[in-house]
Amino acid sequence: MTTRATRSPRRRTVIALMVVLIVFGAFVVRLVDIQVVNANGHISTAHELASGTERTLTGTRGDIVDTNGRVLATSTLLYDVGIDPSLAIAGIKKRDADGKVVLGADGKPEMIDWPELAGRIADVTGQSAEDVTAIVVDRLAEKPGAQWASVKQHVSTEMYRALADLGLPFLTFTSVPSRTYPDGAVAGNVLGFVSSDGTALEGVEDLQNSCLEATNGSLHYQRGRDGVTIPGTEVEEPAVDGGTLTLTIDSDLQWYMQQLISEETKRYKANWGGIIVMEVATGKIRAFAETPTVDPNDPAASDPEDRGSRLARFSYEPGSTFKPVTAATAIEAAGVTPLSTMTTPDRKVFDNGAVINDSEHHATQNLTLNGGLVTSSNVAMSQFGSLVDPQTRYDYLTKFGVGQPQGLNWSGEPRTGFSALPGDWDNQTYYTTTFGQAFTVTATQVASVYQTIANGGVRMPAQLIESCTAADGTVATPDLADPVRVIEEETADEVGLMLENVFAQGTLADDIKIDGYRMAGKTGTAQIVNDAGTAYKKNLYFTSLVGYAPAEDPQYVVLTVFDEPKKERMSSANRSVFKKAMTQVLKHYRIMPSDTETPLLPVTQ
Amino acid sequence: MSANAAEADLLGEDLLALSALPSRDGAGERRLRAVEQTLPARRPRLMYGLVAVAGALAIAGAQIGMSILTTQSSYELKTLTSQQRSVDWQKQMLEDDVAGLSSPQYLAANAAALGMVTGQAPNYLRLSDGEVVGTGKAAVSTSSVQALKKAGVANALVSGLPLVTDPDSSLSAGVAADATIVVDTATPPAIADGLPTPTTH
Repeated sequence: MTTRATRSPRRRTVIALMVVLIVFGAFVVRLVDIQVVNANGHISTAHELASGTERTLTGTRGDIVDTNGRVLATSTLLYDVGIDPSLAIAGIKKRDADGKVVLGADGKPEMIDWPELAGRIADVTGQSAEDVTAIVVDRLAEKPGAQWASVKQHVSTEMYRALADLGLPFLTFTSVPSRTYPDGAVAGNVLGFVSSDGTALEGVEDLQNSCLEATNGSLHYQRGRDGVTIPGTEVEEPAVDGGTLTLTIDSDLQWYMQQLISEETKRYKANWGGIIVMEVATGKIRAFAETPTVDPNDPAASDPEDRGSRLARFSYEPGSTFKPVTAATAIEAAGVTPLSTMTTPDRKVFDNGAVINDSEHHATQNLTLNGGLVTSSNVAMSQFGSLVDPQTRYDYLTKFGVGQPQGLNWSGEPRTGFSALPGDWDNQTYYTTTFGQAFTVTATQVASVYQTIANGGVRMPAQLIESCTAADGTVATPDLADPVRVIEEETADEVGLMLENVFAQGTLADDIKIDGYRMAGKTGTAQIVNDAGTAYKKNLYFTSLVGYAPAEDPQYVVLTVFDEPKKERMSSANRSVFKKAMTQVLKHYRIMPSDTETPLLPVTQ
Repeated sequence: MSANAAEADLLGEDLLALSALPSRDGAGERRLRAVEQTLPARRPRLMYGLVAVAGALAIAGAQIGMSILTTQSSYELKTLTSQQRSVDWQKQMLEDDVAGLSSPQYLAANAAALGMVTGQAPNYLRLSDGEVVGTGKAAVSTSSVQALKKAGVANALVSGLPLVTDPDSSLSAGVAADATIVVDTATPPAIADGLPTPTTH
């Protein structure tokens, strides 16, 4: 039995409950909206409007160190000084020793005017007081009420603190990450440099930017009225510093080679010169010196074309330094020995009509293969080389690195290789390829050829980058090509012995001899194509001298090059620089003198 | 009272519904009777109350204490941070001062200013039999490179900075143009008490 009296209170209860629930639900929806859906927006609004502050945490760009851990490039801070012209022009109140405002006769505070303050700033920055005064005056003339002008950019910490100590409220300081190179131009060609806005522009700074680059973080916090961080309000996303890049370069040796090549390039009046020191067992480059080069602390001081590495970007027809490759090919593919002979005039017209000359006149000789290398005879090497078919010769040259990447992964590496495939070699090219013409290589590739011969026929990839150590300590080594067996060990030994005879019996023997050490190597006087690309330049050469020591247990390859030396035009210009460079390498690495003599092989038979 | 009436009404309805059911045996024997005396009211236990209140106070106190401490330490942090900043500046300034001083070209120029030479073929002295390994020749007095006179490796950090061993010359300027040997022309001291002799024991 239900009556009106019994039903009406229940309905009212239900309705009241529903109203309460609806209101409650609305609050819940709004709460979720504020706390979850639009939370980030509200937080950032709060940070903007309230006392919250956000600061960017800048990571530090990684160091570049040499193989011994010596720092070659590191990060530092410089400061940009700004000024608020509208505040500065008003001057500041004069204060006495106790910091109290000095009142003038009229009861108003005495002011120190802007020109006087400008003088104080100028004393620190080294500008003239008039210049500093003008910065503010000109800016205000240009835009009345202006609130910012630059006083000086990139000042040192010392200057920044001296300016800050002046206590002028209208000066602002912005820190600018910057690079400094403690050793200056030592390995400057390898390091490259960074622009004033922090962009890596050249060298490994640019090539290995992914290793060196830092990732910025951020810090949110709230500050109380007195500037103290309110505890528990910090939200930090830490910055990640860049990694440390280790080079294979030895900076002391690098300095010596740079100093040496600078002196010798001037002495022989060459356009430029370079020295590469490569470790035989590993292919690691210990010195990569050239002149002229760049001081990364001040790239603007060098001509634009001197700011990059020519040594890594220049390719040339190697000439006689590739004769040992022909010898190795003939030994393996035609079965000749160092004592095999060829009748060698100083000019020979071959059956196909090609004409090959030796660089010096001589009577017709019965030259051995060893003699062909010792006297650097084009005619003899043409005859030995042509015992092997062009395709096999092409394959050997390719295995020795011609047309392959030089392995440094340098920006702007030249394309090297053959002017024509072996099937298309013309009559002249058929022979000139036996003495280093009709194909191009880089200096590093020539060093690698001698590293291969010195290392028993196994080429180790040329290497400038040792490793990259990330901020968390993980070490990454570069992806290098695999070692390649190019020629058999016996062949390498035979070619090596002949190269020793080049140094012991050649015309250069007396000039490059280092007492007590057995050395092996070869000179090269390469012709250079003129700028139009139509003919070889007359009487101008790219000269080189490459060798290794000690010959009985090869440790280091040294390659020296000159572009167009004019005091002595042939590779004889390289003798003194090679001897000094090799002496320094032997001394620097404490390599013991040889206890045996070079076994002499006959030149003619 | 309308709420009570409604409650009674509801109860009555329930009783009516119950009475409609068949009664169980013996149900009629139970009789309701008045309670002669209410049970004595339990005394509230003071201990529990005290513990609860003290606990709440302790928590509040601890919270205030910790808050004071963290606030205090944030002031300390601020002081330390500003100290660290000024020390960082000092470190940076000192690093700027010495940057480049250890560079090979500066060291070599200093050595050259002292008259040291480099680039000779090495000789080694073997300890086991005292034999000289190498050329066996005396070193010559010329250096293979002229680290000061023909300095060829630039370094903007030490450019123009006087050499430690020869303050008149610097890396960019090379040797001072008139690097004449300074001859001490002062008159030697007169011998008063005979020739000086070393004191030995």
